[in-house]
Amino acid sequence: MANNKAPYRTAGRGNDGSKTINFTFDGKAYQGVQGDTLASALLANGVHLMGRSFKYHRPRGVLGAGSEEPNALVTLDRGKGRVTPNIRATVLEIFEGLVTRSQNAWPNLKTDIGAFNNIFSAFFPAGFYNKTFMWPKSFWDKVYEPIIRNMAGLGPAPSEPDADVYASVYGHCETLIVGAGPAGIAAALTAAKSGGRIILVDENPVLGGSLLSVPNDKIDGLEISKWLANSIRTLQKMRNVKLMTRTTAIGYYHDNFIGLAERITDHIPNITPGVSREKLHRIRAGKVILAQGAIERPLVFNGNDRPGVMLASAAQTFQSRYGVAVGNAAILFTSHDSGYAAVFDLADANIRIPIVVDVRDEIPKDIRAQAKQRGIEIASGASISKTHGSTRINGVEIYSPSTGAKRKVNCDALLMCGGWTPSLHLWSHSKSTIKWDDEIAAYVPDMPNENAVCAGACNGDFGLLAALKGGNKAAGGRKTYKVTARNFGAGTTFVSLPSYIDTSKQKAFVDFQNDATQKDINLAVREGFASIEHVKRYTTIGMATDQGKTSNLNAMQIASNAVNKTVEQVGLTTFRPPYTPTTYGTFAGYRTGDLFEVERKTPMDGWAQEHGAVYEPVGIWRRARYFPKPGEDMDAAVARECKATRDSLGIFDASTLGKIEVVGPDAAKFMNLMYTNPWAQLGEGRCRYGLMLREDGYIYDDGVVGRLAEDRFHVTTTTGGAPRVFRHMEDYLQTEFPHLDVWLTSTTEQWAVIALNGPSARKLIEPFVENIDLSPEKFPHMAVREGTICGVETRLFRVSFSGELGFEINVPAHYGRAVWETLFEAGKKYAITPYGTETMHVLRAEKGFIIVGQDTDGTVTPGDAGMEWAVSKKKKDFVGRRSLKRPDLVASGRKQLVGLLTENPKTVLEEGAQIVADPNQSIPMDMIGHVTSSYWSESLGHSIAMALVMYGFDKEGEDIYIPIEGNTHKAKIVSPMFYDPKGERLNVV
Amino acid sequence: MFEVHCPYCNEKRPEIEFAYAGEAHIVRETKADELTDQEWAEFLFYRDNKRGDHHERWWHQHGCNMFFNAVRNTLTDKFVMTYKMGVKRPTKTQIKAAKNGK
Amino acid sequence: MLFSQDINISEALQTNALSMTLMDEKTRYSLRIKPKDLAAFKKASGLKLPAKIGQSIRTSAHSYLCLGPDEWIVITANENRNNLREIFVNMTAKFTYSYVDVSHRNIGFVLSGEQVENAINIGCPLDLSLDTFPIGKVTRTVFENAPIMVLRTGTTEFQLECWRSFAPYICGLFDRFAMDL
Repeated sequence: MANNKAPYRTAGRGNDGSKTINFTFDGKAYQGVQGDTLASALLANGVHLMGRSFKYHRPRGVLGAGSEEPNALVTLDRGKGRVTPNIRATVLEIFEGLVTRSQNAWPNLKTDIGAFNNIFSAFFPAGFYNKTFMWPKSFWDKVYEPIIRNMAGLGPAPSEPDADVYASVYGHCETLIVGAGPAGIAAALTAAKSGGRIILVDENPVLGGSLLSVPNDKIDGLEISKWLANSIRTLQKMRNVKLMTRTTAIGYYHDNFIGLAERITDHIPNITPGVSREKLHRIRAGKVILAQGAIERPLVFNGNDRPGVMLASAAQTFQSRYGVAVGNAAILFTSHDSGYAAVFDLADANIRIPIVVDVRDEIPKDIRAQAKQRGIEIASGASISKTHGSTRINGVEIYSPSTGAKRKVNCDALLMCGGWTPSLHLWSHSKSTIKWDDEIAAYVPDMPNENAVCAGACNGDFGLLAALKGGNKAAGGRKTYKVTARNFGAGTTFVSLPSYIDTSKQKAFVDFQNDATQKDINLAVREGFASIEHVKRYTTIGMATDQGKTSNLNAMQIASNAVNKTVEQVGLTTFRPPYTPTTYGTFAGYRTGDLFEVERKTPMDGWAQEHGAVYEPVGIWRRARYFPKPGEDMDAAVARECKATRDSLGIFDASTLGKIEVVGPDAAKFMNLMYTNPWAQLGEGRCRYGLMLREDGYIYDDGVVGRLAEDRFHVTTTTGGAPRVFRHMEDYLQTEFPHLDVWLTSTTEQWAVIALNGPSARKLIEPFVENIDLSPEKFPHMAVREGTICGVETRLFRVSFSGELGFEINVPAHYGRAVWETLFEAGKKYAITPYGTETMHVLRAEKGFIIVGQDTDGTVTPGDAGMEWAVSKKKKDFVGRRSLKRPDLVASGRKQLVGLLTENPKTVLEEGAQIVADPNQSIPMDMIGHVTSSYWSESLGHSIAMALVMYGFDKEGEDIYIPIEGNTHKAKIVSPMFYDPKGERLNVV
Repeated sequence: MFEVHCPYCNEKRPEIEFAYAGEAHIVRETKADELTDQEWAEFLFYRDNKRGDHHERWWHQHGCNMFFNAVRNTLTDKFVMTYKMGVKRPTKTQIKAAKNGK
Repeated sequence: MLFSQDINISEALQTNALSMTLMDEKTRYSLRIKPKDLAAFKKASGLKLPAKIGQSIRTSAHSYLCLGPDEWIVITANENRNNLREIFVNMTAKFTYSYVDVSHRNIGFVLSGEQVENAINIGCPLDLSLDTFPIGKVTRTVFENAPIMVLRTGTTEFQLECWRSFAPYICGLFDRFAMDL
């Protein structure tokens, strides 16, 4: 037998893997065997102390043997960027070279200085932090929180970026079965015959669940291991069945949408770079069968958290599945028959059972007989009032309430069994209802909210036979099974176990991970917290990483007793996903780094990159912001780009502008309804600036619209507004104006757009353009023509967002870069200068053109923006028209868009800065507006700004003030048309 | 993530293909000029915000691009039924029938 | 291909399990026809437009994809472009309908191999099994944060189209997936 050196490894039982595995815990080397968890391997070496508790730093060992474990949390260290805190030792599979550390202890686990919290625990009752660390406020950040964070807490958060990668996928099946214990396997075998796609998922590395802990039972005459192996083989052979191990169903969402977190590399010694560590499966299932089993309930008594005290079923699992004895002398403390099954299994493996302490007076005869057969003494109607030992239990004090007698019995392990709690987590995530079952003193499933069913122990049907039958039935079968197994039996729950020690003096833990005791719950109730949701938050019960898997029901029972209500009346706290702690990486899946979000790039983006562009995000587009030359900062680059454009020629990538093609005989009618401007009279080949409102009268978007034909408009929108404008138009077209014969097609990405601005623009394109007469007479400002440029099809707009002679050259997107490069090369003789969004903003601000979303904020009307000229007075209807007469929109005192000139021409105001009329007013001052746009204007030699100011139009020529960080700037309200107010530069020949 | 039955595609499709578009059966006023400010405000802003069966509009944005109407229970967050734009508001009897599996 | 410079399909995506290739530059038109006119339009134009959303028809010349109750995409090789355009222009006199050139808006990929369903399902939430997504089915949908169009062209072959600026993101996700194969 392998690894006989480990003193508590039981030969011939459980894991018979022959491979020895070397690992370390807190720097010390140990050996386990293949298939061990960290917990089973440490227990095999006689190590029970695995952690320190959250608040009091009490020494703790394992409580359970599975994912419900609240105590044994460790840090897994796989090197830089691969440190994971708070992993449950009971689910961490060991592998060669595994390095783990304990948490929440300093300088080490055995001698933890923080344990003085334990000595002063009388001062740390529920709500202690809330009550104590309140004043002064400034102490919270600097003193209290760092200390508390340091002292009370889980493992330290990783300090390095995650070196691992993760995966995510969608999946579909007809039947999803959660849990591969007897019920889940029976369900899968039955469901698989239907031919639909079946997924059977289990969080453990091997299938079998509780079957792995009861090797002596038999199903249909076969030994459990044989039946299990046969069943798995059958399922593996079926092409419609997918078996998933190491995969936890973490959340159950609408319409049978389930999240499954699969662990792929955490158990493998060598990580292959690029291979995902974990994978999130987002499964849509036709039907869900939940076979999650049940979790054994701890008993709440004084000293129930000492290392060596654990759930009876955990000891049975360590013994039977892992071949690990949890001690040499194990006492059982129980209120339920099922605890006996565990000690009988231990006794049969030659572990001494000094005594069984059963709280009940009446114990079934067959159990008494089996105990007698094994020479096990039973103390019935008794309780445990104390446990002894420091970092490991070495004895208990047994108390008999009827006689008052006390007696000490030595042991090195104490198993407890307080009945069973069906696992209703996923069932409850799905908003299915639950009901209280008095017989088992637990909640069981009631009405499903989805196509789902619970089977086996999670349905309150305990025992092997019930599980098999339940699973089979859940999948639509009617099979009967012949089972040889111990009776699951029954039990009683005790709210308070008999003791001679006052409960206020006991350390009887309810929630092990959050260090919450019976006393804390009673205190919370006494202080007036009646709702169980409030008790939960005040005591923090059920709020730790284990989400109260072992504590919730005990807490409910204690609380209901304290408020003199039934558990049902008190209710249950809400179960929330994830079922077990899940890494952020799993939720992110493939969507990390560059794949976190789409970054849209224009056809000319590569050219900009090669020419040193600095980018800025605009929505999810990235756009060139400016093109610095060596040594230039943004201000210098923008000043140069502005000047070059006004002097001769600038080239700008405007491809991100939204484009919608509006086609159909009613196109003009539709445009009339969607925009404030009149469209019917716009001639073919002409353009118009369009202003779009929402129905509430506020500016929604704007852009130039070209009429290509009687029935065809080329509409442009703002870059960020493209999707919402398309939706806005489709919405009205489909739902309000379906009688119109017109259709919308998004063409944003069909066209690359090259904007040329500056007096040399026409000269540059003339040699490249065919089939368009570019002469100013034939191709005036605000016109559009179709023809070719550089040999490719173009929609050529003569428009200007800069005030200079301007063209916007639309070419099919794939040709955008080639055309750009050709023009750039030829433009060198005109000192062509590429510019980015920053210069574009300055040039338009010099002209007083607004940017929707910068100079407007969703509460600005055309009147506020000084754009009533864009609103048709003749049209009887357009979206937003009636609202322009709303009382609030015609009231005086609205903020209006004006220009600002600072007293000091060098001062560039901050965008967003608030404006006041009287700088000497005491704080809080009356704010009359704010700066919306502000730039240095190289062309004008001074700064310019736009602002929304109350009564702004009436205040032209008046001074206002902008207080910013101790400086108050004075500025004069002017017209926002700063540059070439007559528009003469548009017509340069 | 819900599944939504698109009445145009005639199949259930994942929620992320859809966008919510507000309460249904609010017809745009064609004689807006004749309405008082209060009446116009009620058309623009006043909504039922109903607890229970709610008539609402959805857009199959990443699908057939059609707007349609739905009855969704705001308490259970379950879709009761969906129907094409232009179909009359379903009666209580029709909603009940849809709940009972049609 | 002028647009391929922006698109990087890694070598990991050239295996039998999963292969991804960029389609040639194509001509694509978005067609909007009133459902009541469809039969007459088909007859007059000779175009094989399928009647139901999600259906597609492939002829030797063109692919016809029905995406909405009144919406089709016709995809064809560039040498057919002028012919197709001529048909559309001719139909204008007879029908109230819309055609818009979207050739360069979309980029098409062919994905094939036994892993193809799994690959598309890393970002697309649709059930792509043959029963629910048979050969010939087409639809717009999403691929994580990117809107896409998928068309099943074979048991283990799909055509995937997206707007051109979304292509690098989509290729990046497939590339990551390929590393897990």
